[in-house]
Amino acid sequence: MDYVEQRVAQEAAKPAGTTDTTLFTPLNILLLGALLYTAYVLLRPSPPPALPKEEPAVVFKTFTPHTLLPFNGEDGAPVYLAVRGRVFDVTKGRNFYGPGGPYANFAGRDASRGLAKGSFDEEMLTKDLDGPLDKLGDLGPDELEALQGWEDRFLEKYLVVGKLVAVVDAGKE
Amino acid sequence: MGFDNAMLWLDESVTGLFSQWNAYTSIIVTLFLGFLTYQMVTRQDPDTHPMLLARQADASRVREEGQSSVYRSQGAPHGMPLNSGLNVKAPGASRWSRGRDGDLRDVWRQAVTGVQDDGPTKGAKGRIFTVLGSENVTEHSLDDITRQINLIGQHIEDQGGHRVAIYLPNSVELIATLFACSFYNLTAIILPFDQSEDAVLSMLRRSAADTVVTVPGAFPFDSVVKSYPALRQLVWVVDEGSKHMDWNEVPKGMGGSVNVSTWQEIVHEQPQDAGKELPPLEGQKEPRDITVFWESKPGVMEEMVRFTAANLVSAIAAQLFAVPTAQRMNPSDLFLPADSLANTHTLVLTLAALYSNASVAFNSVAGKAADLGVATRGVAPTIIAAAPATLLKTHSETSQSLSSVISRNIHKIQTSSLTQSGAMPAASFLTKLNDHLKPAIGTKPGKLRLLYIAERAGAGTPPLSSAVLSDLRVFTGARIIYALTAAKVAGAVAQTQLYDYRVFDDQCSHFGPPLTSTEVYLRDTDVHRTTDAESRGEIIVKGPCVAGNEAALGVIGVVRDDHTLAYA
Repeated sequence: MDYVEQRVAQEAAKPAGTTDTTLFTPLNILLLGALLYTAYVLLRPSPPPALPKEEPAVVFKTFTPHTLLPFNGEDGAPVYLAVRGRVFDVTKGRNFYGPGGPYANFAGRDASRGLAKGSFDEEMLTKDLDGPLDKLGDLGPDELEALQGWEDRFLEKYLVVGKLVAVVDAGKE
Repeated sequence: MGFDNAMLWLDESVTGLFSQWNAYTSIIVTLFLGFLTYQMVTRQDPDTHPMLLARQADASRVREEGQSSVYRSQGAPHGMPLNSGLNVKAPGASRWSRGRDGDLRDVWRQAVTGVQDDGPTKGAKGRIFTVLGSENVTEHSLDDITRQINLIGQHIEDQGGHRVAIYLPNSVELIATLFACSFYNLTAIILPFDQSEDAVLSMLRRSAADTVVTVPGAFPFDSVVKSYPALRQLVWVVDEGSKHMDWNEVPKGMGGSVNVSTWQEIVHEQPQDAGKELPPLEGQKEPRDITVFWESKPGVMEEMVRFTAANLVSAIAAQLFAVPTAQRMNPSDLFLPADSLANTHTLVLTLAALYSNASVAFNSVAGKAADLGVATRGVAPTIIAAAPATLLKTHSETSQSLSSVISRNIHKIQTSSLTQSGAMPAASFLTKLNDHLKPAIGTKPGKLRLLYIAERAGAGTPPLSSAVLSDLRVFTGARIIYALTAAKVAGAVAQTQLYDYRVFDDQCSHFGPPLTSTEVYLRDTDVHRTTDAESRGEIIVKGPCVAGNEAALGVIGVVRDDHTLAYA
């Protein structure tokens, strides 16, 4: 209570009529500042909101077995594989199709035969990169159906970024 | 004692500060509170989420060499079919079943039947008016028009007509002839009205018309008969005042082979109960094409375009879909085509209005009238389709009247409501001060809620900047849809979204995203190329509303970062 009494006495001791009547007292300046700042914040024109630019679209390309080969996911490269002439970007499924994955053999290659036969072995791939594409003529109906199933799933999940043609057909467009 | 001292100092300084309170302080605090209250009271929620405007179209993730991504409306994303028709269902069919695409006949059937969906407006029908001046507005009963459609269609068919040229100003007869053609297996050819004699002749020749429906005075009958022998029959649409005259008389020595009759005679000479029922839906023939002429720059020959009925219904469906459900045309609307119905954009919107069971008013001065006030005399439309030149005139007239400092500042506040809050400016005591400066549109000001404006690609229409569009929103109190239209595209290629009020620094506003019936891409030219950084090139449009399914517009466009289409 000492404190309160002391302060009351202190204030009472002040001579009356000393209050400032000018506009520019520290209090007024403070309040004016607050008013102007609030007005600025509320009325400041803001540009319409913008979303970050989308990634540029991938250009559709024509691949030959040779030019497809580098897209095997090694050293951060994208992972592409071809199914019946269509090249899919399967980079999203890198864990499966990228290096070290169970389907790694297919990366950068024509995977049609392997997918149809359900085999991930090396011998499913077309060895001769300069030769014609695998026509899959010897596959049975079950195998073709399995292949169709894979293709449908790929179309649903992945982008078609190009088509695969044999080396001899490459310049014919 | 350090803490106590600090508190003492704080106490003393706060007391000291507030001991300076004086009259000025009171004024400042009052202003402050007043300002905050005003801001809170006038705060408006945006009409749509701003982020929805930040990316308006869906771009394909893969693009072909030499062209940009394909852009589509968010309402018809990639992998989905584009909007191909009206989804007409048989009465009683399940709500979720898939309907037919339909054709123009279904538009009129819908207009006559009234709203089918359950709800407060079930059974409501639109009304159809002809405006002949501010005092003279005639209403036509729908049954009457149905009868005219039947009798005129039957008459032309009986007389061996196949290709019917319609050379009429905006009128009920124009739309009735169009429906008569679709019901009676005739090919409709819509000629732009008020053309020179040579232009009419050349259009008749190119379209190989054998029948003409027109008004006396505007149609160069003598020279057409002389130099266009393929003409077999002619139907005059005469107005009430001159129907007593003998219009069937053909001057001697010419036109002996032309069968001349008048609209009124065909309709009135039949028994009252003839032609009341529309031809049945079952067993109806495939709809015929509709030929229109696209007027481009003066001196350039009109481009003849054949649209299939499927093109038109796809365009109508896309226009209906383009407006959010709450703002769609409905039976309480009055639609006024203030631009020529020979433009497919205006025609498609009019058909969309009929299909939505909205009322429609036809004014024959529309089209050439460069004044919105004149075009809307005598009626109070809620939705108008008008040409850019018309609105540019309205804009410049109204801007000039905003001369005082006060009215200009009120205009600024209203504009910032649009651009900053993303909401249509609400009426307040302040905005009332500016109301008398607004353009006079219709008999009941404030009824107008939506304006359709169409830029015509390559036709030299004056461009409207986004700032002008924003001003027009303030002046008219209506939302605006600004569309890009082209010769080979029924309806529009792309159009701004209803709730997009953003203003940019531009000469010509962007055109929003493609409609649900179109997809757009840009093809590289010598100078303009699509790169990873930007999409730029000649605008190509594909879709069910495009004649021939694909068309190059011949103009250079860019797709901006918000995925709206704009001129480069």
